[in-house]
Amino acid sequence: MNFETIVGIEIHVEMKTKSKMFSLAPISFGLTPNTEVVPMDMAFPGTMPRVNKEAVRNAIRVSNALHMSIDQEIWFDRKNYFYSDLPKGYQITQQARPIGSEGYLVINIDGKEKKIGIERLHMEEDTCMQHHFSDYTLLDYNRAGIPLIEIVSKPEIRSGEEARKYVEKIREIVTFSNVSDGKMEEGSLRCDVNVSIRPYGSDKFGTKVEIKNLNSIANVEKAIDFEAKRQSELLLLGKEVEQETRRFDEAKKETVLMRKKTDAVDYKYFTEPNIPPIRLSDEFVKDAIDTCPELYDQKLERFLNVYGLNEVDAKIILTSVDMADYYDEAAKFTKLYQPLANFIISDVNGYLNKNTISIKEFNVEPKFISELVELLQSKKINSSQGKQIFEKLVKENKSPLIIQKEVGAVLINDESEIHKLVLEVLEANPTLRDDFKAGKTRAQGFVMGQIMKKRGGKVNPGIANKIILEELKK
Amino acid sequence: MKEVNKEVLKDAANRLLFDMKDEEYDTLLNEFGAIQHQLNLIGNIKGVDEVSPMTFPFDVTITYLREDEPETPLSQKDVLKNAHDVKDGQIKLPKVVG
Amino acid sequence: MNYLDLTIKEIHEALLEGKTNPVELTKEALKRAKENEDNAFEMIIEEDALKKAEELSKLPVPKDNYLFGIPYIAKDNFSTKGYETTASSNILNGYVPLFDATVIKLLNEAGAILIAKSTLDELAMGGTGTSGHKGITYNPWDKSHTRLVGGSSCGSAAAVSDAIVPFALGSDTGDSVRKPASYAGLVGFKPTWGLVSRFGLFPFAPSLDHVAYFTRSVFDSALATELLSKHDDNDSTSSYKERPNYLDLNSSVEGKKIAVINGIYKTIQDKKVIEDFDKNIEFLKKNGAKVDFIDVDTDLLKAIYPSYIVISCAEATSNDANLDGIKFGPNYGGKTYSEVMFNARTKGFSALIKRRFVIGSYALMRENQEEVFLRAQRARHLIVNTFNKIFETYDAVYCPAAPNIAPLINKSSENINEDFMIADNWLAIGNFGGYPSITLPIGLENDMPFGANLMCKPFDEVNLFNIALKIEEGTGLKNLNYPAYAKKEGK
Repeated sequence: MNFETIVGIEIHVEMKTKSKMFSLAPISFGLTPNTEVVPMDMAFPGTMPRVNKEAVRNAIRVSNALHMSIDQEIWFDRKNYFYSDLPKGYQITQQARPIGSEGYLVINIDGKEKKIGIERLHMEEDTCMQHHFSDYTLLDYNRAGIPLIEIVSKPEIRSGEEARKYVEKIREIVTFSNVSDGKMEEGSLRCDVNVSIRPYGSDKFGTKVEIKNLNSIANVEKAIDFEAKRQSELLLLGKEVEQETRRFDEAKKETVLMRKKTDAVDYKYFTEPNIPPIRLSDEFVKDAIDTCPELYDQKLERFLNVYGLNEVDAKIILTSVDMADYYDEAAKFTKLYQPLANFIISDVNGYLNKNTISIKEFNVEPKFISELVELLQSKKINSSQGKQIFEKLVKENKSPLIIQKEVGAVLINDESEIHKLVLEVLEANPTLRDDFKAGKTRAQGFVMGQIMKKRGGKVNPGIANKIILEELKK
Repeated sequence: MKEVNKEVLKDAANRLLFDMKDEEYDTLLNEFGAIQHQLNLIGNIKGVDEVSPMTFPFDVTITYLREDEPETPLSQKDVLKNAHDVKDGQIKLPKVVG
Repeated sequence: MNYLDLTIKEIHEALLEGKTNPVELTKEALKRAKENEDNAFEMIIEEDALKKAEELSKLPVPKDNYLFGIPYIAKDNFSTKGYETTASSNILNGYVPLFDATVIKLLNEAGAILIAKSTLDELAMGGTGTSGHKGITYNPWDKSHTRLVGGSSCGSAAAVSDAIVPFALGSDTGDSVRKPASYAGLVGFKPTWGLVSRFGLFPFAPSLDHVAYFTRSVFDSALATELLSKHDDNDSTSSYKERPNYLDLNSSVEGKKIAVINGIYKTIQDKKVIEDFDKNIEFLKKNGAKVDFIDVDTDLLKAIYPSYIVISCAEATSNDANLDGIKFGPNYGGKTYSEVMFNARTKGFSALIKRRFVIGSYALMRENQEEVFLRAQRARHLIVNTFNKIFETYDAVYCPAAPNIAPLINKSSENINEDFMIADNWLAIGNFGGYPSITLPIGLENDMPFGANLMCKPFDEVNLFNIALKIEEGTGLKNLNYPAYAKKEGK
């Protein structure tokens, strides 16, 4: 029997606002524990929530990118439960009226587009961070209250691959809109996955298994594929799939049981009485959307149409929003868009990879890269001089024009000097003109090689070529 | 509605993370008898289920949202001042599992 | 002359005339607080109060800053930076807040001097003044200590009534200031929901909670409102409405329409209460008010108490879920984190509080929520709709505040019939609708005071104070307090 895999995904995205969701504590993801805390984050009695405008703007932007309807009246609810990481004994969330509802995103599977429905998007607050040791746990409240958006998909994902592409797309949206770092490894994007299977053709859902603690997008795919296989093996053996929570064991590449699900927790939701309903004006919503940083698809279109880049290169640059921003900034200083892309993809990326740093940690101003590309393209320097300048540039972050002077990376551009050199070579090799006329074009290359040799490669090849041709034709 | 008996009440109390003496559950069970009567008084109101549940005393809808500007946080010392068990600048608990 | 027996306005005038000074007032207030035998205090703040009084005594007395140099008391559920605040619950023993409630800040900035934190029913969840961790707070009018002063703001009521201070902060979720005001012969005022910031008030049920206060005259309530009714960004429910001048009052009831609710009035069994209330009504009529006795669906009135219990207990289970011994409050250890929380909560809450939490939690359970919690919220809505309608025609609703004088301590739970329940709980309407509501004394019975309560539509405080001033004029019971009364009656 063949089974269809049914997957629903809940994604929590940690926003990178300057202050928390409901408190004014700063967020800098600093390392010293309990230094980004105000009384509300500790649930000291009498503290009250104050909704962060930027968090609402972020939620609107992501909702819009996911084609969701936006509720212009903001309501919050309390989700009541006890846990060691939950300071207030409740989390302020949006249960009854999520800001975003009924949307979708499009993924590409085997060249075909597939729409994945999204049920809801809501704002809530993060819990405090627990650091576990052998026989105790330490609590750091820096994370308590950081704004989150939760995005809940419909159960319309059918494979590990689709799930991976879905999560990639969400990450792309939240990073390009500058809402979040979207780093799964660091927990700023967290995925809980529900997997069930059913015989093809059936319209009933099977028993759901929840998989938690997935720390990379690759693992989302692996975990789902493993889990679907595990469940189908159980069913084929005549056993039942049990409702449970599992985690993905990276070493074993399989899901392992965390706990059996007993009856669902009753969160006793009710409207948060300390936050009045907040009416969002049409202008506010429109402005949030209009000022949303450019998303991937728009950027790709611009890179293809405005910069005229080829699609492969454009997509490489768009692998990260930071790289795209870097390119955009550099492109303000040159019109040589494709050579600029080539240089960034090969030389800059090569440097980053070699030093295992990100473009954000790359300390060369984008305009210097553009200057260097201009120097190379105008053939004022050759490629080896280019490399020499780049090496110095990454260390000193100063204008390639200055570096060029400092290292004396100057080509001979003087036509009469080059002419003299060419004539020297032709005099020493009298057969060359005849060879050339007889169709032996390599004579041209030979002359170039010789004059370069005489001047250590520092002759402007463009000018030299022109003169060589003229002389050979004589 | 959920049936009320001592077990249900004890379970409810335990889910709220406390326990009571056995006789307190008896007292509570008696109180629930009176509460049931009180709840009927609410149910007696004509048209009670035709209006919406009220959280706020009157229309308090606002248009204000606070700017995303942080304030000075508490010092770590102050954060931990009222906590019972502290280690390495953090609050210490027995190991939390699962 | 003892100036603490006077109203704030009178003390302010004495300060302006140099007849007294903040140090003298504070010393006397501290002396009276220490001598008090009604169990009104969690903590007396002697050293800091005197220090502040000394500083203030060096300054000129600013005219019209009425609270300058006035000793005051705050209920121990207001966050006070540096002073232990327990809400009279063992679960908060030793908790020292890091910040001041907004009202505390405003009072301190105005030059009022905090001399003590007062007792309350544990976590403000009670109406008797008997359930705090320090035990029963007694009614100052009954020196044999047989009568309640009422709660939950019991200590604040006792202190103002005993002329220790002329002003005390309380909180009012059902009637926690306005009912004890009736039992203690005080003016107890609860402003419109959102008018005075709740930031720093330990929450009981935020949708019903109000900062409220005791004074001994209507004008003193108005002047406190003038100071405290500021918009506060720290409280998202704080109103943005522009505040009028609350001291621009004319005490006129000419042409005012006042409604007495039959369904409340007729449930009052105490003849003396009705007699004095009727007298007052006649006085108001004589002064140009139109008073109508109107009917309200009795089923609605009967539903006040159950709706209040359901909503307040439900919200409370959530508000007090932060009390777990981890971040603050006593921690008794445990083998697991949940044992730590379980021990703290089992040992920290009294049985009464736990029972209320279970009731609240039951109301919110998935299978009960529609029939219990949401239905109570719907009943609240209907009750508020009904009173909003009344306020379309009438300037105010006026009824006796409580069915009788302060009950005897050992008899407080007797007498429970449905009529009594209405008379005993109707003040919660003020919390349901967020209405401004003021209790003031209208008479005495066997040397025990009792009061009546006036309510207006939201943000109609000026109207409320004007009518209340006239009521006060009619009763002649302005600045009622026990020491002055005892002296006069030769006790």
